[in-house]
Amino acid sequence: MTAAPAPASPVSRFRAPRRLFEAFEDVFDEERFFLILSVFIGIFSGLAVVCFRLAIDWTHLALLGPLPQPHSLKIIIVPALAGLVVAVLVMHVFPAIRGSGVNQTKAALYIFNGYIPFRTAVGKFLCAALAIGSGHSLGPEDPSLQIGASLASVLGRQLQLSREKLRLMAPVGAAAGLAAAFNAPISAVLFVIEEVIGRWSAGILGSVVLSAVASVVVERWFLGSEPLFRIPVTTFKRPAELLAYAVLGITGGVAAVLFAKAIVFLRPRLKALPRWTQYLQPAVAGLLIGLIGYFGFPQVMGAGYDFMDQAMHGQYIWQLLALLALLKIVATTLSFVSGTPGGMFAPTLFVGAMLGGAVGGLEHIFFPHLTGSVGTYALVGMGVLFAGFLRAPMTSVFMVLETSGNYEIIVPVIVANTVAYLVSRSLQPTPIFDLLTRQDGLELPSLEEKREETILRVEDAMLPPPAIILNAADYIDVAARRIEDSTQTIFPVRLQPSGWSVVHRDLVLRLFKEGKGEHTLGSLLSPQPLPSLFPDLPLDNALRYVQTYPIVPVVNRANPLKLEGIISSQSVFAKYGAPK
Amino acid sequence: MFQKVAQLIQRSAVFVLLLLTLAAVAAFAAVNHLVTRYNLNQQARGRRLYAQGHADMDAGNPNLAIEEFRAALTCDRTNPQYQLSLGRALRDTGRLDEAESYLQSLWERTPEDGTINLALARVAARRGNLDEATRYYHNAMYGVWTDDADANRRKARFEFIEFLLQKNALLQARSELVALAAFLPPDPAPHLRAAQLLMQAQDYLDALAEYEKVLRLDRGNPSALAGAGEAAFQSGHYRTAHGYLQGAINANPQDVASRALHDSANLILETDPFIHRISDAERNRRISSDFDNAGQRLAACAQQKDVALTAATTGGAPGLAAVARPGSAAPSPLAQLNARWLEMKRQMPHLRSPGETDLPDAIMDLVFQIEQQTSAECGEPQGVDEALLLISRNREAADQ
Repeated sequence: MTAAPAPASPVSRFRAPRRLFEAFEDVFDEERFFLILSVFIGIFSGLAVVCFRLAIDWTHLALLGPLPQPHSLKIIIVPALAGLVVAVLVMHVFPAIRGSGVNQTKAALYIFNGYIPFRTAVGKFLCAALAIGSGHSLGPEDPSLQIGASLASVLGRQLQLSREKLRLMAPVGAAAGLAAAFNAPISAVLFVIEEVIGRWSAGILGSVVLSAVASVVVERWFLGSEPLFRIPVTTFKRPAELLAYAVLGITGGVAAVLFAKAIVFLRPRLKALPRWTQYLQPAVAGLLIGLIGYFGFPQVMGAGYDFMDQAMHGQYIWQLLALLALLKIVATTLSFVSGTPGGMFAPTLFVGAMLGGAVGGLEHIFFPHLTGSVGTYALVGMGVLFAGFLRAPMTSVFMVLETSGNYEIIVPVIVANTVAYLVSRSLQPTPIFDLLTRQDGLELPSLEEKREETILRVEDAMLPPPAIILNAADYIDVAARRIEDSTQTIFPVRLQPSGWSVVHRDLVLRLFKEGKGEHTLGSLLSPQPLPSLFPDLPLDNALRYVQTYPIVPVVNRANPLKLEGIISSQSVFAKYGAPK
Repeated sequence: MFQKVAQLIQRSAVFVLLLLTLAAVAAFAAVNHLVTRYNLNQQARGRRLYAQGHADMDAGNPNLAIEEFRAALTCDRTNPQYQLSLGRALRDTGRLDEAESYLQSLWERTPEDGTINLALARVAARRGNLDEATRYYHNAMYGVWTDDADANRRKARFEFIEFLLQKNALLQARSELVALAAFLPPDPAPHLRAAQLLMQAQDYLDALAEYEKVLRLDRGNPSALAGAGEAAFQSGHYRTAHGYLQGAINANPQDVASRALHDSANLILETDPFIHRISDAERNRRISSDFDNAGQRLAACAQQKDVALTAATTGGAPGLAAVARPGSAAPSPLAQLNARWLEMKRQMPHLRSPGETDLPDAIMDLVFQIEQQTSAECGEPQGVDEALLLISRNREAADQ
């Protein structure tokens, strides 16, 4: 007779899952946990951006109707009134939401240890949706970026992450927000690296990519996988046409500088006006934009994606395209400098598309055999303004590729974007985001400035190889005879089979005098070789060695036994301290 | 309880992730609800705008319809019906690039769809791009149609043939028409249309066959009778033409074109000496009369071309009169023909001789040459001369 099994106690019943639970606990170190958390940030940001897009669309439909027509009083009144409401909200409830949100996210990373209040996300959501939906000439991408960053920051704080991780939450969320807004994960990742983080860091790249991908998946789930634009058939057949695209690059570069200078000039002046005027500034901006719409150009109102689409399909003549580009610059400058929350991405793309179409149309008049359609030029133009105005050249190329899904266009895009970037940089050395940051009294790192920094390298402090180089296989007496007449005090010794060491002149002579002439140098030296450097390494790398060793060999990368030179503490410090 | 949860959040990564998963699921469900409701509202709005757009299209306001279709598309961006209607409206207003881009994006999604291919074919046809139109029309003809596939494919082929005829691609049009005719249903209307298109493609024999099919299905069809008469006339079957045209005039006495053709056919049948079932005397009478007519036509043409009649010796035949262009060294074709006509006139009395079996042919050859030359130099003739010219062109078939 067997005993009936005793009923399991609640504790023993809990034991098995608890063991499993604990086993899983061991899997999650902070790095892995952060990676998984990035996916959740992507999901939540994606959901928030979907809601944000719906809010903009709904506001637009409710206030202006599906397709606002000129000569209707509504399109003057609505943006003005919305501006008034937004101004009150910004002044009294959400003071941190002015502007695009890129700089605020960057400031969170570098200044506020990743802290972005939740109120910012709420305020940005409401005010940007109202402003863009009512026709202010701003876009939803940068606010999406900030909403994503803000949600990530809130999550990080709630989970009490370490300060280092908390700092990184903002860019991870920013990438997610931007990726969902653009439906373009690669561009979002690149932009966050280029503009927000300001450096390539393997530690954060994985998280940024995961969050961007997760948010794009969520966005596509709800809003469909249609790209932002219906891209016309684009071809690039004759290399000579690159000249035509280069002209577009030059024009785009100049336009980008004009756009940036207008903002940089007006923004501080409007901010300096009495506080009460700030209630009116967004309303006045809205009124002026409404007037532009009223007198026949409603295309400049809102983000303007539909009109970019139409420009890409050759619906407008070049004169109208040029006029729309100019009016959009005016409208966006008004909206942005008045402190209305909203982004610069969509207006930049709009100006680029119109300008590209205009330049393409004009070029076709003079060179009717150009194979690129006006739509192709509009598409390339979007990237051109992005490169010239936002000064994110890599993002600009990938953004065009991601939104077009056409690889054939890559060569014109690279050429035109590079030209625009160079023109813009030569006419205005400091990028717009950096100028805005400085106007706000902040000093944030800039990848562009970092790129331009002169980096001291080992070869800059390197001294030529000494006249006498010894080998580990040399006998002491032979070595002593070689060095006795030399003025050198320290001699590099080539070790076998590889590596370098050094020996002091006195030591060799002393050993010779002690009768150890038949010994090899190698038998008397430490078997541990000296650290060696390569000429192209940053000079900073040398600092950790020159204090410990009298000289550090600088060797050839292809043949480590070939001595390119040596560095010493004196040569390194002389380089650092040398006047320019 | 809350403290324990808070501690768990702080200590357990697994718990945090579970909690985040739950929150994500809940948020997902909430957003899904929101998006679904929003989409439903938008779709309803889109349907209203779409219907309004169609009403405006029907009322002849394509530009207004375009705005409404566009607005409908902002409500439901991926709706193929809206895109198709917008694409069609844009095409109809001549905004071909834009129309093509809308239709192209639809085509990329469903390249086998007959409706989209037909719409794209029409864009290409508007552009006059034969290769592209051919490709899309063929796609439409062999593509998938959701309803009444045969009729739609037939419609696409008819349209394609009309486009080919417009582009003067007659050979391609004929091959399409032959393929079309083989699969037409037993209904007079499509056969009649095919026959008319075959006429345009100058394939008169196949057109005649199609008209005859129509007449088998609808015996007294006046259009088919007139068409068959014209097709038979153009292919040189004047006796057949005469019969059909007589029927067409009987069915529709107001049919002036058929009456004119009927008269011509009648004249041909009365003029042609090679026609069967006439006596030798009648044949000789006709040859003689035709010869005289040709001589008069030659003289009238020479006068019209302002050439002087002079006596000359040509071709080693002394004493022959020739008509030469004033100031020209070489005799003109008219002069040469005149010389041959005069030469032949001397042989005319031998026409009735029983041994002269080649003379009738020789006389009529000269008559035909004169009619063709004078037609080339002085324009299309009328009456008997016209009849002779047509006989010369369709000598073999005239009696059929």
